[in-house]
Amino acid sequence: MSDATLAPPPGDSRLAYLRRRLFSTWFDGIVTVVSGLALLWLITTVLSWALLDAVWSEENAEACKDAAGACWAVIDARGRLILFGLYPYEQHWRSALGCAIIIATMGLSCWPAMWGMWRLLGLWLAGFGSFVILLHGGVFGLEVVTSEQWGGLALTVFIFASVFVIGMPLAVVLALARRSNLPIISWMAAIFIDTVRSLPLLTILFAAAVVVPFVLPDWAQGTKLGRVIFGFALFYAAYQAEIIRAGIQSIPKGQEEAAQALGMTYRSTVLDIILPQAFRNTLPSTINQVVITFKETSIVTIIGFFEVTASASAAVGRGEWGAYYVEVYVFVALVYFIFVFGLSRYGAYLERRSRLSHV
Amino acid sequence: MSEPAIYLHGVVKRYGAFIALKDVSLSVDEGERVVICGPSGSGKSTLIRCINRLEVHSAGTIKVEGTELTDDDDAIREVRREVGMVFQDFNLFPHLSVLENCALPRIRVRGTPRAEAEQIARRELERMRIDNQADKFPDQLSGGQQQRVAIARALCMEPRIMLFDEPTSALDPEMVGEVLDAMVALAEGGMTMICVTHEMGFARSVADRVVFMADGRIVEQAPPDRFFDSPSAPETRRFLEQILGD
Repeated sequence: MSDATLAPPPGDSRLAYLRRRLFSTWFDGIVTVVSGLALLWLITTVLSWALLDAVWSEENAEACKDAAGACWAVIDARGRLILFGLYPYEQHWRSALGCAIIIATMGLSCWPAMWGMWRLLGLWLAGFGSFVILLHGGVFGLEVVTSEQWGGLALTVFIFASVFVIGMPLAVVLALARRSNLPIISWMAAIFIDTVRSLPLLTILFAAAVVVPFVLPDWAQGTKLGRVIFGFALFYAAYQAEIIRAGIQSIPKGQEEAAQALGMTYRSTVLDIILPQAFRNTLPSTINQVVITFKETSIVTIIGFFEVTASASAAVGRGEWGAYYVEVYVFVALVYFIFVFGLSRYGAYLERRSRLSHV
Repeated sequence: MSEPAIYLHGVVKRYGAFIALKDVSLSVDEGERVVICGPSGSGKSTLIRCINRLEVHSAGTIKVEGTELTDDDDAIREVRREVGMVFQDFNLFPHLSVLENCALPRIRVRGTPRAEAEQIARRELERMRIDNQADKFPDQLSGGQQQRVAIARALCMEPRIMLFDEPTSALDPEMVGEVLDAMVALAEGGMTMICVTHEMGFARSVADRVVFMADGRIVEQAPPDRFFDSPSAPETRRFLEQILGD
């Protein structure tokens, strides 16, 4: 980078700086004062609702009746329903542990030292394997809990991780197929991608849950959860494939030619030269698509799965806590925020990392 | 006489209705240094890109070190291992360090263990006098440095033939010299070379033979002395007048 020094900015005390930026005309002054007051009101209102006047933990909903602020007691009382859905109460530890395992697996695969085909394959087989054994049970003296009863955060995280792990390799294959020199292959990939993209996610999930059992023989049906995840993965793959294709097209033709001229095989050209650059060029849109996918997992509610959003609705759907749905949805929003914020920070880290090895 | 390193007979290249190469025949011996020149659009780049099959010729025969170029992918890779190429735009891999640019293809193509491949990479970078930049990334280097890395990368495969496709055309004038010096050093080492270039000084001092192309045909070929001092074809004379400016 350039070391050229610029002339120092004009000497400006902090006060003079604020005056110049916020009060340089009488109109600027009014805007500053009005928006400042609005901001102050908003902050004090939210703070007093969420913290000062809030009821934190009580045995029942009665105590919240007279409170001016938030009733966080509802989280205390119904939190386990929100986080674990319909999973049997005594077995909640299995769901919690499974959830932690999937989160740890995702965390580990974000770590550059784990980036190798065999390492990632081993990690995910172990992660998914132990999740399914834990939640389904039937071995090691664990009571059987069918996937229809899985729910809450563990289900959300499991669906998301499976969709990503199945969808991403599929997306790479689709993107490469669409660029194939063989017309039949590129044509089939294009038709597949365009068809899936023209269908709403809801339709695909419905078809996977309800229609497929009529079409496929018994042995090929799998579980409803499995079919839904697979349908979801197809949906994700169609979008991600187009992102990757855009990334591949942004690479100059000379890159592939240089690899060919060196005698590199197609496989090596794609894996060592084309895909790393394609992913680097499309990192922001890929992170975007991943975040959308994480949030869209809430759609599986429609076909009867109690992931975290549906569990939250159920937690306030009836009985004494019914009035405190705002608190419950704020809680669920916070849970989503933690994941999505983590994803976007990780995306920013990857971008910084690729810039460091570059500028 | 032994088999030529490169043998082209009756080579034709069509792009739809446009004919880029019209019945080109050329034979280059082991250790020979050939410069190809000619006006733009004359087919010189197409010609050398046919030699490592970056372009697929439409008709005729091309043999490299005795191996004929056909649809046989194994034969094509065999030829590409023996033929290094340097491009006008360098085409270094921007996501890999200079060292990795040189070592990775060697590892992938020749199956060389990493430690040995890195050793070879350092040796070739040193030969191109750019070994002090080994840990940088391509876009941290000047054009001349990048092109020398590109030459080193090709040399890491230990090719028997080097193709240069206008290696100095994309460079700022002050960097042309360092790349030409590297090419001269390579020529003195006995490498078989085909260079498409407009650097007539290089052609005169290094080439064994200068080939002049126009309109998809080889118009004239001669040793540099005769080529520059008494060209026979009128097209050649016109081209030389333009490019040498006298």
